[in-house]
Amino acid sequence: MNVEKLREDFPILKKPIIYFDSACMSLKPRQVIEKVSKYYTDYTACAGRSSHKFAHEVEIQVAGTRKEVKCLINAKRDSEIIFSKNTTESINLIANSFGLKPGDEVIISDKEHNSNLLPWLKLAKKGIKVVPVESNEDNTFNINNFEKAFTENTKLVSVVHTSNMDGVTNPVKEIVKIAHNNNAAVLVDAAQSVPSKEVDVQSLGVDFLAFSGHKALGPTGTGVLYGKKEMLEKLDQFLMGGETVVDSTYTGYEPEELPARFEAGLQNYAGIIGLGEACKYLKKVGLKNISRHEFKLNKMLSEAFADNEKISILGPKDPEQRAGIFSFIVSGMDIHDVSGMLSASRNIMLRSGAHCVHSWFNKRGLKGSVRASMYLYNTEEEAQAFIDELNKILKF
Amino acid sequence: MVLCLVALPVFAVLSIFSVKYRKLTKEAFDCLFKTVTFRKCRSGLDNRIRAVLTGRIIRLSPGIAKIFYKNYKIFSWVLFILLVWSFYVSFIGIHNYILYGNCNGPESSGFCIFDPTGSNSRISEIDYVIPANITYPVLEDDDPIIGDPKAELTIIEFGCYTCPYTKNAESTVQKIIDYYNGRVNVQFKTFVIPNHPFSTESALAADCALEQGKYYDYHKLLFDNQEKMNYDMLISLAGSLGMNMTQFTNCLEDEKYKFEVQDDTFMGLEAGVPGTPTFFIGKSKVVGPKPFKTFKNIIDEELKK
Ligand SMILES: Cc1ncc(COP(=O)(O)O)c(C=O)c1O
Repeated sequence: MNVEKLREDFPILKKPIIYFDSACMSLKPRQVIEKVSKYYTDYTACAGRSSHKFAHEVEIQVAGTRKEVKCLINAKRDSEIIFSKNTTESINLIANSFGLKPGDEVIISDKEHNSNLLPWLKLAKKGIKVVPVESNEDNTFNINNFEKAFTENTKLVSVVHTSNMDGVTNPVKEIVKIAHNNNAAVLVDAAQSVPSKEVDVQSLGVDFLAFSGHKALGPTGTGVLYGKKEMLEKLDQFLMGGETVVDSTYTGYEPEELPARFEAGLQNYAGIIGLGEACKYLKKVGLKNISRHEFKLNKMLSEAFADNEKISILGPKDPEQRAGIFSFIVSGMDIHDVSGMLSASRNIMLRSGAHCVHSWFNKRGLKGSVRASMYLYNTEEEAQAFIDELNKILKF
Repeated sequence: MVLCLVALPVFAVLSIFSVKYRKLTKEAFDCLFKTVTFRKCRSGLDNRIRAVLTGRIIRLSPGIAKIFYKNYKIFSWVLFILLVWSFYVSFIGIHNYILYGNCNGPESSGFCIFDPTGSNSRISEIDYVIPANITYPVLEDDDPIIGDPKAELTIIEFGCYTCPYTKNAESTVQKIIDYYNGRVNVQFKTFVIPNHPFSTESALAADCALEQGKYYDYHKLLFDNQEKMNYDMLISLAGSLGMNMTQFTNCLEDEKYKFEVQDDTFMGLEAGVPGTPTFFIGKSKVVGPKPFKTFKNIIDEELKK
């Protein structure tokens, strides 16, 4: 993987910045930008409804993306890929359509992003029980606690794959095995894992998996829900509208086939088409290479500050367990001060705050952390610059 | 909080130029408002400002950045005091402006923010693009000199008899001549302002008066009667000075000095005169009825040469 060469594909990297906020939003390669632009300049149209040349082209392109996504996560069928606007919408679809009833229980982890917490808390108002599983001391997943959380009412497990807060990846394969033994389905929030590691839904055995295109080099407002065919077929429809039904009368309707029945209204065609290009790009670079690269950078940062008593890193000590995320707190210094100073001194773009995992920080009485999230286009020079700049601040 | 207080006026001024600062100004104001109404300001604006400033200073020197970060409260108080001081200075400026027409005080001719186009600089403008290459005006024998003809320095004035600002400058011109007591005189060149009624006629009339040796008195009468100016007035004023009326009326009606007046105006245009009154003192241009001090500064420099 030649990072220098690959960086040339990212026009925005011509700016004098060190972009360490890819867990929130990835930068976009030229190929994706051009593909999106091409939709708007060459064949702007609806898919599925019209029968002219442009509409055909859109249909072909959208189908192409579906295939790309299917390959990316190794789904069995194209129809198991549903486009949404983001991870959040994908999870909300399940929360609204899974058919949970009062008394049913949903297990989540104790460090879910708000988008995998709030949809369930909303259901809790209707009598559905939400059971968070407490993690280990070092923030890794506690399988024992997980097993103990099951009751006969447990219908669904919804856990994050790789945490956006500390980069820890949960043992989804094991989680699935246990859940299935307890007759519960599994939804995985893969917003952070799909962009930077090989995710194989069949080998993991998950029932549903959600991720966002915009964190994986894709255009903004693109999301995916994967579901096993037999599971998707059991779901109630969520958003209703154009393309979700075959036919309708004043009193009823006949739902469309998969996946159309879950894709209501005109879609974000340009975005979806761009997402296909992003998948191709990821495949070309190789997800294994990306993981390895992220680890290399995270190792640099982790080792540089391992013995610094002013810095506490969130999650386990071993950077191999924290993907491309280096989340930390500087003792005696406000998190926003740290990110603000690094931004002003060297244009290092970090995120400081609770990273939408307020629940975890609130329980510990913390305001949040500073997070450097690295991706395929970040370089060792950038990591070193971050280390140098942070070291200056640590002397304060 | 103190930083917010400092930030507010700074951002307010910057927000004139940039939308980004408008948002920050609003934030600073909100923060201040909340603070004075004993509520918590959660915007963290002062912390953000501190972080950004510290970050910028790190580029120069991490050591100084550390000092700033650790002592930012002191620094913000210093900034606050500077701010209060600048308010004080502004107040003095306003005070001077009210008293002397210039915010830098009576001794200065500097730019005054309160008078950017300023009454002291107000002129009867012409709609004309000032040439890139300016040809400085020259003294001409056929134009009258006001003051001692043997003076060391001659100020060339482009004026219009029907222009109120030229009239405003008259007392200053007289003061200059009196003050320098024979060392400085003024050559008045008529610069026609097309949209002023009787601008051309009064200029022609003044030349007709010159022909009869009555220029100085007529020049003065024209300004004294500026508000009531009309064609008959031009003639009756000449009559009051005992001129030969046939000669004067013929001169005026025949536009005898038409080319003379036009030449003066052209000379002004070539010299980049934006309107009346405009003065040339050597190569310095003074636009508008500036205070005496403004002229004095330039004249003193010229006389030293
Ligand atoms: C782990 C995780 N889940 C969910 C989300 C929500 O993604 P989106 O805002 O694209 O719906 C994010 C985004 O930060 C995330 O990191």
